Amino acid sequence: MLIDRRALSLAALPAGFAVILAILLAVAPAAAKDTGLIFVSNEKSNNLIVIDPKTHKVIRDIKTSRRPRDMHFSVDRTKLYVACGDDDVIDIIDVTKLEVIGRIPTGPSPETFSIDERKRRIYVANEEGSSLSIIDMDQAITIHEVPTGAEPEGVYVSEDGKLLYVTSEVGDLIHMVDAEGGHVLQDVVVGTRPRRFAATPDRKELWVTAELSGEVYIIDREKFEVSGKIEFLPPGMRKSDVTPVGLVMTQDGKTAFVTLGHAAHVAVVDVPTRKVTSYILVGKRSWGITLSRDERTMYVANGFGDDVTVIDVRTRKATISIPVGRIPWGVIIDD
Amino acid sequence: MTDVFRSMWRHSKMSSLLSLPWARPCRAHGLLPPPLAGEGWGGGRHQWAADGCPLPVPPPQAGEGTLWQCLRAASGVLLVASLSSGAFAQTSPAPQPRVTIGYVDIAGDPRHEPIKAYERIVLKQREPPFAAAQVGIEEAQALSRVLKIDFALERITVKSADEVAPAVTKALQERNIHFFVVDAPAEAFRPLAAAVRGRDVLLFNATAPEDWLRRELCAREVVHTLPSLAMTMDGLTQHLVSRKWRDILVLQGPLPADAATTKAFENSVKKFGARIVANKGFKAGTDPRERELNNPLLLTAGTRDYDVIFIADDAFEFARQVPFQTVRPRPVVGAIDLEPVAWHWTWERNGGPQINVRFNRASGGRRMEGADWAAWIAVKMVVQATLRTRSAEFNKQREFILSDTGFDGYKGLAVSVRRWDQQLRQAVFLATPSAVIASAPIEGFLHRTNTLDSLGDDEPETPCKLNR
Repeated sequence: MLIDRRALSLAALPAGFAVILAILLAVAPAAAKDTGLIFVSNEKSNNLIVIDPKTHKVIRDIKTSRRPRDMHFSVDRTKLYVACGDDDVIDIIDVTKLEVIGRIPTGPSPETFSIDERKRRIYVANEEGSSLSIIDMDQAITIHEVPTGAEPEGVYVSEDGKLLYVTSEVGDLIHMVDAEGGHVLQDVVVGTRPRRFAATPDRKELWVTAELSGEVYIIDREKFEVSGKIEFLPPGMRKSDVTPVGLVMTQDGKTAFVTLGHAAHVAVVDVPTRKVTSYILVGKRSWGITLSRDERTMYVANGFGDDVTVIDVRTRKATISIPVGRIPWGVIIDD
Repeated sequence: MTDVFRSMWRHSKMSSLLSLPWARPCRAHGLLPPPLAGEGWGGGRHQWAADGCPLPVPPPQAGEGTLWQCLRAASGVLLVASLSSGAFAQTSPAPQPRVTIGYVDIAGDPRHEPIKAYERIVLKQREPPFAAAQVGIEEAQALSRVLKIDFALERITVKSADEVAPAVTKALQERNIHFFVVDAPAEAFRPLAAAVRGRDVLLFNATAPEDWLRRELCAREVVHTLPSLAMTMDGLTQHLVSRKWRDILVLQGPLPADAATTKAFENSVKKFGARIVANKGFKAGTDPRERELNNPLLLTAGTRDYDVIFIADDAFEFARQVPFQTVRPRPVVGAIDLEPVAWHWTWERNGGPQINVRFNRASGGRRMEGADWAAWIAVKMVVQATLRTRSAEFNKQREFILSDTGFDGYKGLAVSVRRWDQQLRQAVFLATPSAVIASAPIEGFLHRTNTLDSLGDDEPETPCKLNR
């Protein structure tokens, strides 16, 4: 997912810190790097399904706390963090052993989160708590709660770590939060039920999906105002089924892929012109979407199909679907 | 319950709301409220701001106070003082514009009396949907900051249905309240609509499903957020027809409400091509001379087979004894087992669990029901109108609400106001006690403009022609 990718590039900046971290971790068994394994969180079967990228076979079923949703790797990729909404925790999974090795308590019903490893902080949107928790990763405690609009969801950390962007699904708002002070600086009104973010690599725009109004809003980050919006309508679908949620952008910032939820398609958007160029058929209630590092393959979690669609990015075609757990929410790749 | 106890009970509910982890400490509203005005339990007025805190209420009219009210006022002042610490020290900030929504209900409304079995065991709670309106106000909290407009809810409790109209006009004239969630029976709407005709008022009918309010009364000042009987019965019938359960045995209770429900169901059956094999009246009891009326076995016997039994029983006493008591092994729908409802506590899609949890907390553990949804969406519509018009001007807000704009009702297709009768078009859930089996409109039932209009009175069918 885009946030992970950015987190990686962040880690590249403070190289010294990364080296220290690597030395510390060298004590542990050799880290599993770039295994290529695909992890799928399943909201209703309370597990992560691990898929082999070559054979597309399920190789592990990891039991987690209840209702696993958003997932992020640690910078060194030895750990996978999973927000588990119905147990109010983030599970920590050892990527080598493929088992849960710890838990971090959060606010009520964590859904999505972001990690800033330089500050050793996790920012979690608590869907039922109308707040954003700022968690100290080392102590595993919440050090601050930022009140937000009801049902906060997407969390995005600015590249310098100073600002956080949070959506409020009920408030139809994007909050800009001072990460240090822990308070809302500004709000901008977008469409109905804003969900998740992607940022253009030039750091000028923030794209946010508005699920109910069926749009993607583009926010000018400097002015912090809406500078445009994109609407979708795959052929043969009803407008009311168009419920965009997940989105990713290619590293060159030219193409964005948006999952359209109940409309069972992924929209392909040309970023510079903001035009939809094509639609790719996937399963129902498609939410989670992720690109492989080489950007050749894309994975989409179909909540109402209990499977993951694998897409060949070059041909823009779905190649295979893999049955996973019940109500798959997100996909993440260890590459 | 005496007035004082009722008042304290309500206050304790408020304070439990405030003690929730997500509730924020009250912001000082600048001054302590004067004693609350009111005419006993009826006529009591309380305001809550978007942050869930009590707001100052204008001083009482001369001669309104009684001993009871003084006591109640004292308890109110203590509560406010303890909640908004520092209120004494602060000077009032420049006041923001405030959008106040009135919530009008009737003390001792029999529709909200719980249905009980022996020993007062509660079968159905039937609580007023006030907590749902509070949830709507609570959700507006973050928007208050952005819009620089406050949202408040004022509960106006009157003693009888006759007092609803005067209370609403008084609140409009004296306190400039334009939006009201009306929690009153259908008969209260005739004088109410007459009293506010042509005035700057929008009333949200959140609890009366009667079709005549949408057809004959047909008032421009009323928006019906609760689905009409015609809509719920259409939803149910669509489901039966989609299952190919077309032959239906109807059991009808003795109440006028049962007759209205049956009539609406008969219309739906005709509309969607099902058949009623027989319509039998029942009467709860054990009198052997009336066994044809009170024995489920005899009522469900007969030579003509049927696929399903529809039962209309507002009192619920008889209906709860019918499933598994029938001659033929047939499902029962309507008043029990599979009910068409505006909302259900188990709805899992479209953000349903989140609003169910918010409501559950705000109401002290209650499960959200249809009327709750209708009150909540009414407040949400006013808040959205304020947000999208960026205005606290009534005329702009009304125009927005009555336009074709869709609102997020947490049940799939966006809900919006039908221009011909100002009924909120919306999905109807078909729910068992522990799951939503289907959401109508059922797939396959189409409409030329919006499939939601396959439920209830469509434009060509209704005698009500508003906003033409």
